[in-house]
Amino acid sequence: MRRHWLGAAMASALVAFGLAACGTGTPNSTAGGLQIWEGYTGAEAKAFTHLLDVWNKAHPTEKVTYLYVDNDDSLPKLLTAVKGGSQPDIAYVYGSWAPNVAQIPQVVNLTKVVQRPGVNWDDFWVGERDVATVKGEVIGIPALVDNLAVVYNKALFTAAGLQPPSPNWTWNQFVADAKKLTIPAKKQFGTAYVTPGSEDTVWHWEALLWEAGGAILNSSNTKAAFDSPAGLKSLETLRTMAVTDKSMYLDPTDSEYANLFNSGRIGMLVTGPWDLSGFPSVKYGVQIMPSFPGTSGGHQTISGPDNWVIFNNGSKRVAAAEKFLLWMTATPQATYFSLHTGDLPIRKSVEDSPGFLQKMDQALPEVDTFITNLGNVKQARPQIPTYPKVSTILGQMIVSVLLGKSQPQAALANAAQQVNQALASGSN
Amino acid sequence: MAVAAARELGEESGLRRQRRLGRQASPGKPRRPKAGEQIAAWTFLTPGVALIMLFGVAPVIWSAVMSFQRNNLFSPNTPFVGLANYRQMLHDPIVGQAIEHTIVYTALFVPGTMLVGLFLGVAMNRPLKFISVYRTAAYATIAISTISEALVFIWLFDPSYGIVNYLFSLVHIPQQQFLSSPSEALYVIVIMTIWGWTGFAVVVYLAALQGIPQVLTEAAAIDGAGRWATFRRITLPLLSPASLFLAVWLTINALQLFDEVYFSTSGGPLNSTTVLVYYLYEQAFGGANFNFGYASAIAYFLFIVIIVITAIQFRAGRRFVHYRS
Repeated sequence: MRRHWLGAAMASALVAFGLAACGTGTPNSTAGGLQIWEGYTGAEAKAFTHLLDVWNKAHPTEKVTYLYVDNDDSLPKLLTAVKGGSQPDIAYVYGSWAPNVAQIPQVVNLTKVVQRPGVNWDDFWVGERDVATVKGEVIGIPALVDNLAVVYNKALFTAAGLQPPSPNWTWNQFVADAKKLTIPAKKQFGTAYVTPGSEDTVWHWEALLWEAGGAILNSSNTKAAFDSPAGLKSLETLRTMAVTDKSMYLDPTDSEYANLFNSGRIGMLVTGPWDLSGFPSVKYGVQIMPSFPGTSGGHQTISGPDNWVIFNNGSKRVAAAEKFLLWMTATPQATYFSLHTGDLPIRKSVEDSPGFLQKMDQALPEVDTFITNLGNVKQARPQIPTYPKVSTILGQMIVSVLLGKSQPQAALANAAQQVNQALASGSN
Repeated sequence: MAVAAARELGEESGLRRQRRLGRQASPGKPRRPKAGEQIAAWTFLTPGVALIMLFGVAPVIWSAVMSFQRNNLFSPNTPFVGLANYRQMLHDPIVGQAIEHTIVYTALFVPGTMLVGLFLGVAMNRPLKFISVYRTAAYATIAISTISEALVFIWLFDPSYGIVNYLFSLVHIPQQQFLSSPSEALYVIVIMTIWGWTGFAVVVYLAALQGIPQVLTEAAAIDGAGRWATFRRITLPLLSPASLFLAVWLTINALQLFDEVYFSTSGGPLNSTTVLVYYLYEQAFGGANFNFGYASAIAYFLFIVIIVITAIQFRAGRRFVHYRS
């Protein structure tokens, strides 16, 4: 009798250990299928599983199974898995993590893979290729691309007696329109800006900096370059709206601005295509970013692409994972995915296919402006492991100017000094 | 009275009997369990111990090791850097600010929650109509998730659309920026968390209040003590074990403040609500910093601070806490 319960207790202890130690399956064999970690929900999840079914029917020996992992949380989970030797074969990884992810020894170098015939690497947008490449090595295949443009409320423009913005508009016009759209009694604001001080705060400004002809860092990524006339121009433009005109709603939560726009409280938003489906209650238009006349920048925007990354679980599994990803991101599959999700096409050839833009607009009104705006992505953020630190400093700089706590010139100088220090002391 | 006295006598004699029996059973050392009993005990304990080791002790040890390393968890290259991470804290201005915010927050939150909890607990400790409705309402603040709580407070205190500023405008108080103002945001979080923890404090105080024998308050009344004197001289001292428990528990939680900051301000504006745990999270996972070594050092610093403060509280408790015996 005693042996009986003793055995049971031992077994439960073993299960506890075993659960923590279990891995992904047989090493270096595709038996049991490849595992892919992704964070798709809703329409994206539906389109993705459909494509998986198509692949699995055609490749019974190289089946792919998926595990839902929330994208925001995927990195800690990935790191834990890598430490335990139970990494997935493929994972969806934010582009901003690329320089750090590239340091994981199990991450597969795809430089030669993307040069294979038929892949047509240059068909991916330059912004995507930049973010998939770390120190000259390709470590990922583009999974998603987006960019920033101006979404405006048509009814509020009409009510204020304003013409809708044209493709060659300027930041001066944007500032003037924002002022006219602001009605304090109605709690209506011309525009909004997200101020949690995170990268979301920073990349909105970086687009302005590039348009004013500026750069974030010097070409060798060793010194700050934003403390420049272009930096000053971009910050002063934001300050005029936030502090002088009070035409800018500052949103520290990074989420309320969308509700406010959808309830007709905000005239214009600089935001991305992901927000469009959240505006069912207003008739909105989309226009590319305004420019700073007299500078070399022209109309630009910024893109935040994400990557598929392959982890090494043996050469057979790597080969199968490469084959699957190249298939998944090829033009026919990318077209299917965009049309069924409203996500921007990850390849230029998808945009060029006949009737594509019209079909996209039927699904998500005005999204075509975001698609053509992909051509205005001319630069990428510095691909260095220190960038998160730089971003934190820039976030504080922008918020302090928008809250009226410091003057643009002083804020720029102060931030530049901190950035130089951070760059000099390395990634940690 | 006679019954109580008899019970006390009974207990005492029982105790004495136990002691005597114990001395008889094990002269000198306590009895050593048999080998078979040892195995049985450990077999029962193994699953629990294994899980605690795996998910509790192992990470604690690992983060202690990491606090002496330069470690981003990506690179297999994790050089030992000695006390560099701890030294970096001395030169990091944001750590200084985070410590200041944590202290200010704790100093306001702990007494605030205890006072509100005590007030509501005393108010509800009497036969009122619908008393269970009030008690449930107070307790509901614990049941509500932090995210919902933060979202509601964000809207209440929204500078442009919030109800608080609307009420202010009715009585001609100037409009405030609340969570958008570096000088006000921390106080909004204090209010938010006091609200969130009040239910907990009320439950603890209510339980303690019901444990106070009526004979004592009645005796005080007969002796001519007023309501306030009874409360101060009888109720408050008898609540002191509950107060000590709340002070320790709330302080530990206050020093570990994270959720409300994460959901409402992300440490901003301009780091004005960055508290220690939020900052170490930022260093480890937030904004892709991946300074796991540094984050672990901050965590260990906080760990030591919490131990020291808790020890001080218990020591101070010896002087002020009355246990009925």
